[in-house]
Amino acid sequence: MSALLVIEHLHKQFGARHLFDIEHFSLDAATAYVLTGVNGAGKSTLLRVLDGLEPAEAAALSFDGKALALAPYPGAMRLAVGYVHQHPIMFSTSVAHNIGYGLVARGAPKARVDDAVAQAMAWAGVEHLQAADPASLSGGEKQRVALARAKVLRPRLLLLDEPTANLDGAAREQVIALIPTLIAAGSSVVMACHDPDLIGLAGVRRLKLRDGRIEYR
Amino acid sequence: MSLLDAIGGAFALFLSGDSALWRIIWISLKTSLTGLALATPPAVVLGYAIAAHRFPGRRIAIWLAQAALSLPTVLIGLVLYLLLSRAGPLGSLHWLFSQPGVVAGQFVIAMPVLVAFTLAAVQAADPRYAETAIAHGASSWRVMATVLHEVRFGVMAAIISGFGRVISEVGCALMVGGNIAGETRTITTAIALETSKGDFSQGIALGMVLVAIALLMNGALMLLQGDAHMARGHT
Repeated sequence: MSALLVIEHLHKQFGARHLFDIEHFSLDAATAYVLTGVNGAGKSTLLRVLDGLEPAEAAALSFDGKALALAPYPGAMRLAVGYVHQHPIMFSTSVAHNIGYGLVARGAPKARVDDAVAQAMAWAGVEHLQAADPASLSGGEKQRVALARAKVLRPRLLLLDEPTANLDGAAREQVIALIPTLIAAGSSVVMACHDPDLIGLAGVRRLKLRDGRIEYR
Repeated sequence: MSLLDAIGGAFALFLSGDSALWRIIWISLKTSLTGLALATPPAVVLGYAIAAHRFPGRRIAIWLAQAALSLPTVLIGLVLYLLLSRAGPLGSLHWLFSQPGVVAGQFVIAMPVLVAFTLAAVQAADPRYAETAIAHGASSWRVMATVLHEVRFGVMAAIISGFGRVISEVGCALMVGGNIAGETRTITTAIALETSKGDFSQGIALGMVLVAIALLMNGALMLLQGDAHMARGHT
């Protein structure tokens, strides 16, 4: 399996506190990972660093075989890396606009946006929400819309921060059911989570962030 | 003239369709709205930029934006007068005692209100709006447009407050405009003049217009705040 992302000496600190100091971090292409660790270990921060939302230091970085710098965040990674927040926020437009946001931002033609949005809504099971006020969605619906919003961009690497946190019952099961199809679509996926059902998904590799270092399991 | 006589005279002026009265109201609305329209785009962008970006001197920029809210309009008028007077650096524009001069004054007066209110609205916005836009590949301009759309009630409140400030100011319009009848005489400068002449009816009539505008502005603000609360209540 070829490496999609390799970072050497990834270091993050907040003030005097060293959150993590990862000597070697690598993710393979088209591979799913769960990222575990105790609360406060830095899982969410690591995902935010990988998506360029949080500054950090790296001695070397290569993405898809190309040597890049982590700062400023490379445009090639911005186009190829997706991120879904633990508590996704919806723009106050429409569900369809939210899902198509990234495509519109990248200048995709309207016909392609409409087509991709319709497919993504069907994939996420949110067609019935097309006319709904995004602010009125439940937690599970928001999470599914956010996954669809990330999926339409066909990311090479998708970062999911606690995708099932704060969900229970059917909402949690609906979100869990979407994850294997995301993985099957060929994206590398990293899920920061504690959910045993996600950790136990077939073919998912385990990463553990402990004491500021990554353990590969 | 008693107060009742003056109020009766004011209503008579309204009902008679007094052209001088309506001309003053028209000039006030025209100069205020033009100054506001010119100030809004740069002020909103500036307010957003200060709120959304980290740069050296940012705290000073916030301090200056907020302190500028308290600038007396006569001081702004004085500075503009010096700039626009024949010997001043902008004297060649011939804007002193003209409507463009009054508009320039309204522009300067509106800027701090618009900047400070937009800044506060963007600072109060959930950071996930900008992060989500960035994470989905939006350009800096699209991120700004997205965040400003999400704080549109705050931006509209800024515009309404800015209008309230420029329509009701007297010092700058008087100094830069010169209170020329039919040209630069605004509601507030006319009230000052007519009161000094003892013609209270027109002053009261114009004052009633200002009060009506203030009521409309505050009503619009209350409606906006109600909408904003409703929108937040859903999230």
